[in-house]
Amino acid sequence: MLTSDRPRQAAPAALSREKEGESGYPRLFFYPTGAWALAFIITLLVIGGGAAFYVWYNRPGADTFPGSTVGLIYAVIATIFFILAAAGYALRRRSRKRAVGQLNASLNWHIFLAIIALAFAFFHALGHFAAISGTYALIGLIALALSGIVGRWLDRVLPRMITAEVDAVLTAQGDDRGETLSQELRAIVTEHSLAVPPRQSADHHAAGGTRSPALPAPNALNVPWDLAYISLEPTQQELDRDAPHYRFIPDRKSDLSRVDVLLPPAEKPMAEMRRMQRAMSREQRYRWLIRLWRSVHITLAIVAVGLIIYHLIFVGVLFLPGLIH
Amino acid sequence: MLKATLLHKTAPQIAQEIHACIGCNECLLACPALAEPITIDILNRETVVGSISPAVARFARSCYQCGACVAPCPVGLHRDAMMMWLKLRLWRSDQEED
Repeated sequence: MLTSDRPRQAAPAALSREKEGESGYPRLFFYPTGAWALAFIITLLVIGGGAAFYVWYNRPGADTFPGSTVGLIYAVIATIFFILAAAGYALRRRSRKRAVGQLNASLNWHIFLAIIALAFAFFHALGHFAAISGTYALIGLIALALSGIVGRWLDRVLPRMITAEVDAVLTAQGDDRGETLSQELRAIVTEHSLAVPPRQSADHHAAGGTRSPALPAPNALNVPWDLAYISLEPTQQELDRDAPHYRFIPDRKSDLSRVDVLLPPAEKPMAEMRRMQRAMSREQRYRWLIRLWRSVHITLAIVAVGLIIYHLIFVGVLFLPGLIH
Repeated sequence: MLKATLLHKTAPQIAQEIHACIGCNECLLACPALAEPITIDILNRETVVGSISPAVARFARSCYQCGACVAPCPVGLHRDAMMMWLKLRLWRSDQEED
Protein backbone atom coordinates (compact mmCIF):
# COMPACT_ATOMS: atom_id res chain seq x y z
CA MET A 1 0.00 0.00 0.00
CA LEU A 2 1.23 3.43 -0.88
CA THR A 3 0.88 4.89 2.58
CA SER A 4 2.91 2.20 4.29
CA ASP A 5 6.25 3.23 2.73
CA ARG A 6 5.69 6.93 3.09
CA PRO A 7 6.99 8.70 6.19
CA ARG A 8 3.90 9.90 7.98
CA GLN A 9 3.66 13.48 9.07
CA ALA A 10 2.75 14.38 12.60
CA ALA A 11 -1.02 14.62 12.87
CA PRO A 12 -2.43 17.83 14.22
CA ALA A 13 -4.27 17.93 17.51
CA ALA A 14 -7.61 18.10 15.71
CA LEU A 15 -7.06 14.70 14.14
CA SER A 16 -5.84 13.03 17.31
CA ARG A 17 -8.98 14.15 19.13
CA GLU A 18 -11.11 11.88 17.00
CA LYS A 19 -9.74 8.86 18.81
CA GLU A 20 -12.37 9.58 21.43
CA GLY A 21 -15.05 8.67 18.87
CA GLU A 22 -15.28 6.03 16.18
CA SER A 23 -12.05 5.29 14.29
CA GLY A 24 -10.63 2.95 11.66
CA TYR A 25 -11.59 1.92 8.16
CA PRO A 26 -11.62 -1.90 8.06
CA ARG A 27 -11.20 -3.81 4.82
CA LEU A 28 -14.35 -5.85 5.52
CA PHE A 29 -17.41 -4.39 7.20
CA PHE A 30 -21.08 -5.24 7.26
CA TYR A 31 -23.83 -3.21 8.87
CA PRO A 32 -27.13 -5.08 8.64
CA THR A 33 -30.17 -2.98 9.50
CA GLY A 34 -33.64 -4.16 10.52
CA ALA A 35 -34.96 -3.55 6.99
CA TRP A 36 -32.09 -5.59 5.54
CA ALA A 37 -32.73 -8.49 7.95
CA LEU A 38 -36.45 -8.46 7.07
CA ALA A 39 -35.72 -8.50 3.32
CA PHE A 40 -33.18 -11.30 3.83
CA ILE A 41 -35.65 -13.48 5.80
CA ILE A 42 -38.42 -12.93 3.22
CA THR A 43 -36.01 -13.85 0.41
CA LEU A 44 -34.97 -17.04 2.21
CA LEU A 45 -38.61 -18.01 2.82
CA VAL A 46 -39.69 -17.37 -0.80
CA ILE A 47 -36.70 -19.19 -2.34
CA GLY A 48 -37.01 -21.97 0.27
CA GLY A 49 -40.71 -22.40 -0.59
CA GLY A 50 -39.97 -22.48 -4.33
CA ALA A 51 -37.11 -24.94 -3.84
CA ALA A 52 -39.20 -27.23 -1.59
CA PHE A 53 -41.96 -27.38 -4.18
CA TYR A 54 -39.35 -27.96 -6.91
CA VAL A 55 -37.92 -30.96 -5.03
CA TRP A 56 -41.40 -32.35 -4.26
CA TYR A 57 -42.59 -31.88 -7.85
CA ASN A 58 -39.53 -33.39 -9.54
CA ARG A 59 -40.61 -36.96 -8.89
CA PRO A 60 -40.69 -39.70 -11.58
CA GLY A 61 -43.67 -39.40 -13.93
CA ALA A 62 -44.23 -35.68 -13.34
CA ASP A 63 -44.38 -33.26 -16.26
CA THR A 64 -40.98 -31.61 -15.97
CA PHE A 65 -41.21 -29.57 -19.15
CA PRO A 66 -40.60 -25.80 -18.72
CA GLY A 67 -43.84 -25.23 -20.67
CA SER A 68 -45.88 -27.32 -18.19
CA THR A 69 -48.31 -25.63 -15.81
CA VAL A 70 -45.81 -25.71 -12.93
CA GLY A 71 -43.03 -24.49 -15.21
CA LEU A 72 -45.18 -21.61 -16.43
CA ILE A 73 -46.11 -20.67 -12.84
CA TYR A 74 -42.42 -20.51 -11.99
CA ALA A 75 -41.86 -18.38 -15.12
CA VAL A 76 -44.62 -15.94 -14.19
CA ILE A 77 -43.31 -15.59 -10.62
CA ALA A 78 -39.74 -15.04 -11.93
CA THR A 79 -40.97 -12.37 -14.36
CA ILE A 80 -42.96 -10.56 -11.66
CA PHE A 81 -39.96 -10.49 -9.29
CA PHE A 82 -37.67 -9.38 -12.12
CA ILE A 83 -39.98 -6.48 -13.02
CA LEU A 84 -40.28 -5.53 -9.32
CA ALA A 85 -36.48 -5.60 -8.92
CA ALA A 86 -35.87 -3.49 -12.01
CA ALA A 87 -38.72 -1.00 -11.69
CA GLY A 88 -38.86 -0.66 -7.88
CA TYR A 89 -35.39 0.82 -7.43
CA ALA A 90 -35.53 2.91 -10.62
CA LEU A 91 -38.86 4.47 -9.59
CA ARG A 92 -37.73 5.04 -5.99
CA ARG A 93 -34.65 6.93 -7.23
CA ARG A 94 -36.82 9.27 -9.27
CA SER A 95 -39.51 9.66 -6.62
CA ARG A 96 -39.93 13.02 -4.90
CA LYS A 97 -41.44 11.44 -1.78
CA ARG A 98 -38.41 10.14 0.02
CA ALA A 99 -37.13 9.71 3.55
CA VAL A 100 -33.54 9.38 4.73
CA GLY A 101 -32.45 5.75 4.39
CA GLN A 102 -35.36 4.75 2.16
CA LEU A 103 -33.24 4.54 -0.97
CA ASN A 104 -30.84 2.16 0.77
CA ALA A 105 -33.76 -0.07 1.79
CA SER A 106 -34.97 0.07 -1.82
CA LEU A 107 -31.51 -0.94 -3.03
CA ASN A 108 -31.54 -3.92 -0.65
CA TRP A 109 -34.93 -4.98 -2.03
CA HIS A 110 -33.57 -4.53 -5.57
CA ILE A 111 -30.84 -7.07 -4.77
CA PHE A 112 -33.07 -9.55 -2.96
CA LEU A 113 -35.89 -9.42 -5.55
CA ALA A 114 -33.33 -10.01 -8.32
CA ILE A 115 -31.98 -13.07 -6.45
CA ILE A 116 -35.55 -14.42 -6.07
CA ALA A 117 -36.20 -13.81 -9.80
CA LEU A 118 -33.01 -15.66 -10.72
CA ALA A 119 -33.88 -18.60 -8.45
CA PHE A 120 -37.39 -18.92 -9.93
CA ALA A 121 -36.04 -18.64 -13.49
CA PHE A 122 -33.78 -21.56 -12.58
CA PHE A 123 -36.77 -23.52 -11.18
CA HIS A 124 -38.73 -22.67 -14.36
CA ALA A 125 -36.13 -24.52 -16.44
CA LEU A 126 -36.97 -27.72 -14.48
CA GLY A 127 -33.60 -29.19 -15.35
CA HIS A 128 -33.75 -28.41 -19.08
CA PHE A 129 -30.66 -26.47 -20.12
CA ALA A 130 -30.46 -27.15 -23.87
CA ALA A 131 -29.10 -24.39 -26.10
CA ILE A 132 -32.43 -22.67 -26.70
CA SER A 133 -33.76 -19.17 -26.08
CA GLY A 134 -34.76 -19.88 -22.44
CA THR A 135 -31.25 -21.00 -21.51
CA TYR A 136 -29.79 -17.87 -23.10
CA ALA A 137 -32.23 -15.75 -21.08
CA LEU A 138 -31.22 -17.62 -17.90
CA ILE A 139 -27.52 -17.08 -18.69
CA GLY A 140 -28.29 -13.39 -19.22
CA LEU A 141 -29.96 -13.22 -15.80
CA ILE A 142 -27.05 -15.04 -14.14
CA ALA A 143 -24.58 -12.60 -15.74
CA LEU A 144 -26.70 -9.69 -14.57
CA ALA A 145 -26.86 -11.00 -10.99
CA LEU A 146 -23.12 -11.69 -10.96
CA SER A 147 -22.37 -8.18 -12.23
CA GLY A 148 -24.53 -6.82 -9.41
CA ILE A 149 -22.69 -8.89 -6.80
CA VAL A 150 -19.29 -7.84 -8.18
CA GLY A 151 -20.49 -4.23 -8.29
CA ARG A 152 -21.47 -4.31 -4.60
CA TRP A 153 -18.06 -5.75 -3.78
CA LEU A 154 -16.33 -3.03 -5.83
CA ASP A 155 -18.44 -0.43 -4.00
CA ARG A 156 -16.84 -1.61 -0.76
CA VAL A 157 -13.28 -2.15 -1.94
CA LEU A 158 -12.61 0.73 -4.35
CA PRO A 159 -13.63 3.67 -2.10
CA ARG A 160 -11.21 2.35 0.53
CA MET A 161 -8.46 2.19 -2.08
CA ILE A 162 -9.33 5.71 -3.23
CA THR A 163 -9.01 6.87 0.38
CA ALA A 164 -5.50 5.38 0.55
CA GLU A 165 -4.54 7.33 -2.58
CA VAL A 166 -6.09 10.55 -1.26
CA ASP A 167 -4.02 10.06 1.90
CA ALA A 168 -0.91 10.23 -0.29
CA VAL A 169 -2.06 13.37 -2.09
CA LEU A 170 -3.21 15.46 0.88
CA THR A 171 -1.00 16.56 3.77
CA ALA A 172 -1.90 15.79 7.38
CA GLN A 173 -3.53 19.22 7.55
CA GLY A 174 -5.56 18.43 4.44
CA ASP A 175 -3.69 20.71 2.04
CA ASP A 176 -2.67 19.76 -1.48
CA ARG A 177 0.70 18.03 -1.17
CA GLY A 178 1.51 18.98 -4.77
CA GLU A 179 1.30 22.66 -3.91
CA THR A 180 3.58 22.16 -0.89
CA LEU A 181 6.11 20.24 -2.98
CA SER A 182 6.02 22.88 -5.74
CA GLN A 183 6.83 25.58 -3.22
CA GLU A 184 9.65 23.45 -1.82
CA LEU A 185 11.08 22.91 -5.32
CA ARG A 186 10.77 26.59 -6.17
CA ALA A 187 12.70 27.44 -3.01
CA ILE A 188 15.45 24.95 -3.95
CA VAL A 189 15.73 26.35 -7.48
CA THR A 190 15.85 29.93 -6.20
CA GLU A 191 18.49 29.05 -3.63
CA HIS A 192 20.55 27.25 -6.27
CA SER A 193 20.35 30.12 -8.77
CA LEU A 194 21.53 32.54 -6.09
CA ALA A 195 24.42 30.28 -5.06
CA VAL A 196 25.78 29.76 -8.63
CA PRO A 197 26.94 32.98 -10.37
CA PRO A 198 25.80 33.32 -14.00
CA ARG A 199 28.37 31.97 -16.48
CA GLN A 200 29.51 34.22 -19.29
CA SER A 201 29.51 32.14 -22.43
CA ALA A 202 31.11 32.68 -25.82
CA ASP A 203 27.64 33.33 -27.28
CA HIS A 204 27.21 36.12 -24.80
CA HIS A 205 30.39 37.77 -26.09
CA ALA A 206 29.39 37.21 -29.69
CA ALA A 207 26.11 38.97 -28.99
CA GLY A 208 28.05 42.04 -27.91
CA GLY A 209 28.22 41.43 -24.17
CA THR A 210 31.06 42.49 -21.95
CA ARG A 211 34.18 40.43 -22.66
CA SER A 212 35.86 38.71 -19.76
CA PRO A 213 39.62 39.30 -19.74
CA ALA A 214 40.25 35.66 -18.75
CA LEU A 215 38.69 34.31 -21.94
CA PRO A 216 40.50 34.46 -25.31
CA ALA A 217 38.85 36.15 -28.27
CA PRO A 218 36.75 33.76 -30.40
CA ASN A 219 38.96 34.16 -33.46
CA ALA A 220 42.24 34.07 -31.58
CA LEU A 221 43.17 30.50 -32.52
CA ASN A 222 46.88 29.99 -32.76
CA VAL A 223 46.61 27.37 -35.49
CA PRO A 224 46.11 27.84 -39.22
CA TRP A 225 42.55 27.34 -40.41
CA ASP A 226 43.44 24.49 -42.82
CA LEU A 227 44.97 22.22 -40.14
CA ALA A 228 41.53 20.68 -39.67
CA TYR A 229 42.05 18.87 -42.97
CA ILE A 230 45.25 17.12 -41.97
CA SER A 231 43.39 13.93 -41.07
CA LEU A 232 40.10 12.56 -42.32
CA GLU A 233 39.79 10.21 -39.31
CA PRO A 234 36.84 10.99 -36.99
CA THR A 235 37.79 13.03 -34.00
CA GLN A 236 37.28 11.81 -30.47
CA GLN A 237 34.38 14.22 -30.15
CA GLU A 238 32.67 12.69 -33.16
CA LEU A 239 33.15 9.19 -31.73
CA ASP A 240 31.70 10.20 -28.36
CA ARG A 241 28.76 12.01 -29.91
CA ASP A 242 26.25 9.49 -28.59
CA ALA A 243 27.68 9.37 -25.08
CA PRO A 244 25.21 10.59 -22.41
CA HIS A 245 27.35 13.62 -21.51
CA TYR A 246 27.10 14.89 -25.11
CA ARG A 247 23.31 14.73 -25.28
CA PHE A 248 22.75 18.40 -24.74
CA ILE A 249 19.09 18.23 -25.78
CA PRO A 250 17.76 15.63 -23.35
CA ASP A 251 15.00 13.28 -24.46
CA ARG A 252 12.58 11.58 -22.06
CA LYS A 253 14.98 8.73 -21.34
CA SER A 254 17.96 10.94 -20.66
CA ASP A 255 19.01 11.56 -17.10
CA LEU A 256 19.33 15.24 -17.96
CA SER A 257 15.56 15.51 -18.34
CA ARG A 258 15.24 14.99 -14.59
CA VAL A 259 15.49 18.13 -12.54
CA ASP A 260 16.78 16.25 -9.51
CA VAL A 261 19.93 15.18 -11.43
CA LEU A 262 20.89 18.77 -12.07
CA LEU A 263 19.75 19.84 -8.59
CA PRO A 264 20.57 17.08 -6.08
CA PRO A 265 18.58 18.71 -3.21
CA ALA A 266 15.46 18.42 -5.40
CA GLU A 267 15.74 14.64 -5.57
CA LYS A 268 13.49 13.95 -2.57
CA PRO A 269 10.65 16.37 -3.42
CA MET A 270 10.74 15.25 -7.07
CA ALA A 271 10.44 11.59 -6.03
CA GLU A 272 7.56 12.56 -3.74
CA MET A 273 5.93 14.49 -6.59
CA ARG A 274 6.18 11.52 -8.93
CA ARG A 275 4.69 9.22 -6.26
CA MET A 276 1.87 11.72 -5.73
CA GLN A 277 1.09 11.86 -9.45
CA ARG A 278 0.98 8.07 -9.59
CA ALA A 279 -1.44 8.07 -6.63
CA MET A 280 -3.67 10.60 -8.43
CA SER A 281 -3.67 8.47 -11.59
CA ARG A 282 -4.64 5.41 -9.57
CA GLU A 283 -7.44 7.33 -7.85
CA GLN A 284 -8.74 8.42 -11.23
CA ARG A 285 -8.63 4.81 -12.45
CA TYR A 286 -10.58 3.52 -9.42
CA ARG A 287 -13.26 6.17 -9.90
CA TRP A 288 -13.46 5.27 -13.58
CA LEU A 289 -13.88 1.60 -12.65
CA ILE A 290 -16.80 2.42 -10.32
CA ARG A 291 -18.55 4.33 -13.14
CA LEU A 292 -17.69 1.65 -15.70
CA TRP A 293 -19.20 -1.11 -13.59
CA ARG A 294 -22.49 0.80 -13.32
CA SER A 295 -22.56 0.96 -17.13
CA VAL A 296 -21.73 -2.76 -17.38
CA HIS A 297 -24.60 -3.63 -15.00
CA ILE A 298 -27.09 -1.47 -16.92
CA THR A 299 -25.91 -2.89 -20.26
CA LEU A 300 -26.31 -6.44 -18.96
CA ALA A 301 -29.80 -5.55 -17.69
CA ILE A 302 -30.75 -4.36 -21.19
CA VAL A 303 -29.25 -7.52 -22.72
CA ALA A 304 -31.12 -9.72 -20.20
CA VAL A 305 -34.43 -7.94 -20.95
CA GLY A 306 -33.76 -8.43 -24.67
CA LEU A 307 -33.07 -12.14 -24.19
CA ILE A 308 -36.23 -12.58 -22.08
CA ILE A 309 -38.34 -10.83 -24.75
CA TYR A 310 -36.73 -13.01 -27.42
CA HIS A 311 -37.50 -16.10 -25.31
CA LEU A 312 -41.14 -15.02 -24.85
CA ILE A 313 -41.58 -14.39 -28.59
CA PHE A 314 -39.88 -17.71 -29.44
CA VAL A 315 -42.08 -19.65 -27.00
CA GLY A 316 -45.18 -17.73 -28.11
CA VAL A 317 -44.60 -18.54 -31.78
CA LEU A 318 -43.92 -22.17 -30.89
CA PHE A 319 -46.81 -22.90 -28.54
CA LEU A 320 -49.58 -20.33 -29.05
CA PRO A 321 -50.89 -21.80 -32.37
CA GLY A 322 -51.28 -25.17 -30.61
CA LEU A 323 -53.08 -23.61 -27.66
CA ILE A 324 -55.46 -21.57 -29.85
CA HIS A 325 -56.50 -24.47 -32.10
CA MET B 1 -2.52 6.50 -19.33
CA LEU B 2 -4.94 8.79 -17.54
CA LYS B 3 -3.72 12.30 -16.82
CA ALA B 4 -3.29 12.88 -13.09
CA THR B 5 -5.68 15.52 -11.81
CA LEU B 6 -6.87 16.42 -8.33
CA LEU B 7 -10.31 14.79 -8.01
CA HIS B 8 -11.05 15.62 -4.41
CA LYS B 9 -11.08 18.76 -2.33
CA THR B 10 -8.59 20.01 0.24
CA ALA B 11 -9.52 20.58 3.89
CA PRO B 12 -9.98 24.37 3.50
CA GLN B 13 -12.30 23.76 0.53
CA ILE B 14 -14.26 21.19 2.55
CA ALA B 15 -14.61 23.67 5.42
CA GLN B 16 -15.89 26.28 2.94
CA GLU B 17 -18.45 23.85 1.53
CA ILE B 18 -19.69 22.92 4.99
CA HIS B 19 -20.14 26.58 5.84
CA ALA B 20 -22.07 27.03 2.59
CA CYS B 21 -24.41 24.08 3.32
CA ILE B 22 -27.98 25.28 3.88
CA GLY B 23 -29.04 22.01 5.56
CA CYS B 24 -31.83 21.13 3.13
CA ASN B 25 -31.12 17.38 3.47
CA GLU B 26 -31.43 16.78 -0.30
CA CYS B 27 -28.04 15.02 -0.46
CA LEU B 28 -29.00 12.58 2.28
CA LEU B 29 -32.36 11.87 0.65
CA ALA B 30 -30.61 11.02 -2.63
CA CYS B 31 -28.00 8.76 -1.00
CA PRO B 32 -28.35 5.01 -1.62
CA ALA B 33 -25.64 4.17 0.92
CA LEU B 34 -27.23 5.82 3.94
CA ALA B 35 -29.08 3.15 5.90
CA GLU B 36 -29.92 4.91 9.15
CA PRO B 37 -31.34 8.36 9.93
CA ILE B 38 -28.58 10.95 10.35
CA THR B 39 -29.21 14.67 10.55
CA ILE B 40 -27.24 16.94 8.26
CA ASP B 41 -26.18 19.09 11.24
CA ILE B 42 -24.43 16.19 12.94
CA LEU B 43 -22.84 15.10 9.67
CA ASN B 44 -21.53 18.60 8.94
CA ARG B 45 -20.25 19.03 12.50
CA GLU B 46 -18.37 15.73 12.51
CA THR B 47 -16.96 16.00 8.99
CA VAL B 48 -14.06 18.37 9.62
CA VAL B 49 -12.92 17.98 13.24
CA GLY B 50 -13.88 16.36 16.52
CA SER B 51 -14.95 12.85 17.34
CA ILE B 52 -16.92 10.78 14.82
CA SER B 53 -20.07 9.11 16.10
CA PRO B 54 -20.65 5.42 15.23
CA ALA B 55 -23.60 6.22 12.92
CA VAL B 56 -21.61 8.80 10.94
CA ALA B 57 -18.60 6.44 10.77
CA ARG B 58 -20.80 3.63 9.42
CA PHE B 59 -22.22 6.02 6.82
CA ALA B 60 -18.75 7.25 5.84
CA ARG B 61 -17.46 3.70 5.34
CA SER B 62 -20.57 2.70 3.39
CA CYS B 63 -20.38 5.70 1.03
CA TYR B 64 -19.19 4.46 -2.35
CA GLN B 65 -18.62 7.83 -3.99
CA CYS B 66 -21.35 7.38 -6.61
CA GLY B 67 -22.00 11.13 -6.70
CA ALA B 68 -25.80 10.80 -6.42
CA CYS B 69 -25.69 13.50 -3.73
CA VAL B 70 -24.11 16.16 -5.96
CA ALA B 71 -26.88 16.81 -8.52
CA PRO B 72 -29.74 17.46 -6.04
CA CYS B 73 -27.79 20.05 -4.00
CA PRO B 74 -29.46 23.43 -4.59
CA VAL B 75 -26.25 25.33 -3.84
CA GLY B 76 -23.95 23.10 -5.89
CA LEU B 77 -21.93 21.53 -3.07
CA HIS B 78 -20.02 18.25 -3.26
CA ARG B 79 -21.17 16.02 -0.42
CA ASP B 80 -19.11 13.17 -1.94
CA ALA B 81 -15.94 15.22 -1.36
CA MET B 82 -17.01 15.87 2.24
CA MET B 83 -17.61 12.15 2.71
CA MET B 84 -14.16 11.47 1.26
CA TRP B 85 -12.67 13.72 3.93
CA LEU B 86 -14.53 11.74 6.60
CA LYS B 87 -13.22 8.53 5.07
CA LEU B 88 -9.71 9.96 5.16
CA ARG B 89 -10.05 10.86 8.83
CA LEU B 90 -11.17 7.32 9.62
CA TRP B 91 -8.35 5.90 7.47
CA ARG B 92 -5.71 8.04 9.17
CA SER B 93 -6.97 7.19 12.63
CA ASP B 94 -6.51 3.54 11.66
CA GLN B 95 -2.93 4.24 10.48
CA GLU B 96 -2.09 6.10 13.68
CA GLU B 97 -3.27 3.17 15.81
CA ASP B 98 -0.92 0.86 13.82
